Amino acid sequence: MKKRHFLTLCASTLLVGNLASSAWAQETISLGAVLPLTGPSATVGEDIRRGIQLGVEHVNANGGVLGKKLQVIVEDSGNNPTTALTAARKLATVDRVPAVLGEYSSSITLPMAQYLVKENIVHFNIGSSSNKVRELGASAFNIIGLEAAGNLFAAKDVYALGHRNLALIAPNNAYGQGVAHGFTEEFEKLGGKITAQILYTGGQSTYRRELQQLARAKPDAFLYTAYGHESAVINREAKELGLRNVPWYAYIMSMSVSDTPADIAEGQIGMELGTAQGDLGKAYEDTFKAKFKEGFKTAFNGYGYDGVLMLAAAIEQGKGATPAQIIAGLKAVSEAGFTGVTGPIKLDDEGQRIDPPYDRLKYEGGKLVQR
Amino acid sequence: MLQFLVDALLRTADLALITLGLSMLYGLIRFPNIAHVQYAMCGAFLAYAINSAGAPLIVSVVLASILTGLLTLVIQLLVFDRLLKSGPAIAMIGSLAVSMVLVASVLGIAGSFPHMFSLPHTEPLIIGDARISHTQLWFVLTTLVLLTLFVLLLFHTQVGRAMRALACNPALADASGLNASRITNGVTFISGMLAGLGGSMLSLSTGAHVNLGYDLLLPVFAAAILGGLGNPIGAVAGAALIALTETAVTNINFGPLLGETLVFLPVSYISAASFLILLLALLFKPYGLFDREVRRV
Repeated sequence: MKKRHFLTLCASTLLVGNLASSAWAQETISLGAVLPLTGPSATVGEDIRRGIQLGVEHVNANGGVLGKKLQVIVEDSGNNPTTALTAARKLATVDRVPAVLGEYSSSITLPMAQYLVKENIVHFNIGSSSNKVRELGASAFNIIGLEAAGNLFAAKDVYALGHRNLALIAPNNAYGQGVAHGFTEEFEKLGGKITAQILYTGGQSTYRRELQQLARAKPDAFLYTAYGHESAVINREAKELGLRNVPWYAYIMSMSVSDTPADIAEGQIGMELGTAQGDLGKAYEDTFKAKFKEGFKTAFNGYGYDGVLMLAAAIEQGKGATPAQIIAGLKAVSEAGFTGVTGPIKLDDEGQRIDPPYDRLKYEGGKLVQR
Repeated sequence: MLQFLVDALLRTADLALITLGLSMLYGLIRFPNIAHVQYAMCGAFLAYAINSAGAPLIVSVVLASILTGLLTLVIQLLVFDRLLKSGPAIAMIGSLAVSMVLVASVLGIAGSFPHMFSLPHTEPLIIGDARISHTQLWFVLTTLVLLTLFVLLLFHTQVGRAMRALACNPALADASGLNASRITNGVTFISGMLAGLGGSMLSLSTGAHVNLGYDLLLPVFAAAILGGLGNPIGAVAGAALIALTETAVTNINFGPLLGETLVFLPVSYISAASFLILLLALLFKPYGLFDREVRRV
């Protein structure tokens, strides 16, 4: 008898639970996000998560979507492609979300997005800059500047600064090779010349020899992109060798100065993915500071925010939260003209942002400022 | 050209103290201690730890060297003395194991992220067309002073004579009443100290990082073998030769050969230079370049 009572109790609890959750589900529209909340890119991951959180709060404060509450279920990728894929699968099959935002590293985003596209779920890129993002497929969208656009922007900027003969140093991996190759192509089209180029091996404690080899080319300026700590070594040794007497141009500036002592980084110029733009961006920056008691850690949080707002607008436009409705909605939103905190967002036929923003920056008085 | 010489000198300083200790100790214990380069890495981390605990820089470096010397002595007494009873091959494999344990311990305690000393940035000295930072200058000067002291010790003191006698003929030295184990322990401590000092001074410019030891392994051994293992002065000469070769290979412009303006050998291949020298030395001069001159006391 007792056993039967117990079973009945269990069954009814389950039933009530189910009913409750489905009732709740009816009042909530869920989206998914996979971010590197732990591991070496955790700072970026948390920064994007904050942007997403502000986006959700903004949407819900303005009446939600289709009269329902919006929520974004955030999963941790641990900076690992397999974990990210498992997280995406969970979002797709358990939470049944129609769209997933993220990841940050291209090597993780690409396999995850391929899975999502195969499952006809919307993938929304807010952090990866590999040119391959463009080729993901029909249900993949992107609002961040890809390598090709970054190379073009940097090449034009360096050329406009009057430099013609450059020495280039970049890490010897897919990213560094992409920048070295792409930038050189764009810069030579403009009429500039790369007189020396070195792809360095990561994780070394000294880059003195590489720098001395580059210096032999006697360039007008150096173009470099390097990860935080490696940048610190390169910057310090370049200073010691007297190479920083000519300008150093940083490709993705935040990476290049994050670990470098301020007195060495002073006066450094470079470019970065555009962060908050215009009045909307300014208001967003203030809200962000008030909420988290500190400023932006990276340029990426604004893309997380815009991603949420754009998906919410697409659900409104498409009059539903199925992947197909969101895809139709995104196209309609883009055509009607959408302005986010990272500036106006217009998508091309492949779902890629046209003219993504970049910032011209300078390191002055211990912080990055617009130039 | 001046910069070339400065670079070669700097690289010699990187290698000299560690090679010297390795070679000196080899003369007494007769096995190549692979863990020796890891003592340098430990010295670097100790100096960083002491410095970040608030001690002045010079105190940290000296203290780190002494601690590394003690560590070397303890490992010698606990591990290598026992392993040596089974022969030098066993001891060498043991030293590989010790080397891995040391790296794993440092990795566990300090992590894989390199630690940079927070030194005030000073403008480098400019001599002609060459540049050298103050830290590097001090490193070179300290190395020169220590090498001079060491030569004086080895050839002009009673202790030095005893060391050479023991290295040359242990049985005879023992029979003549020299206290072999005391001298060996003393030399072990000093060679550990030199490795610690070399490592900590190296880390002032490159930071304390876990690969510091592995990066030194090949050039240090090449230099020691080139100078004749067991011959400390030869080891320093070997270090200078390796340094010259590495710097030369770095600076040769292969451009004209390939019809371009500037083509250099990628820096990651440059350690191949010391590897090649090591191979040539082993093939043609297995007892080192200066073998004969030093065998006699």
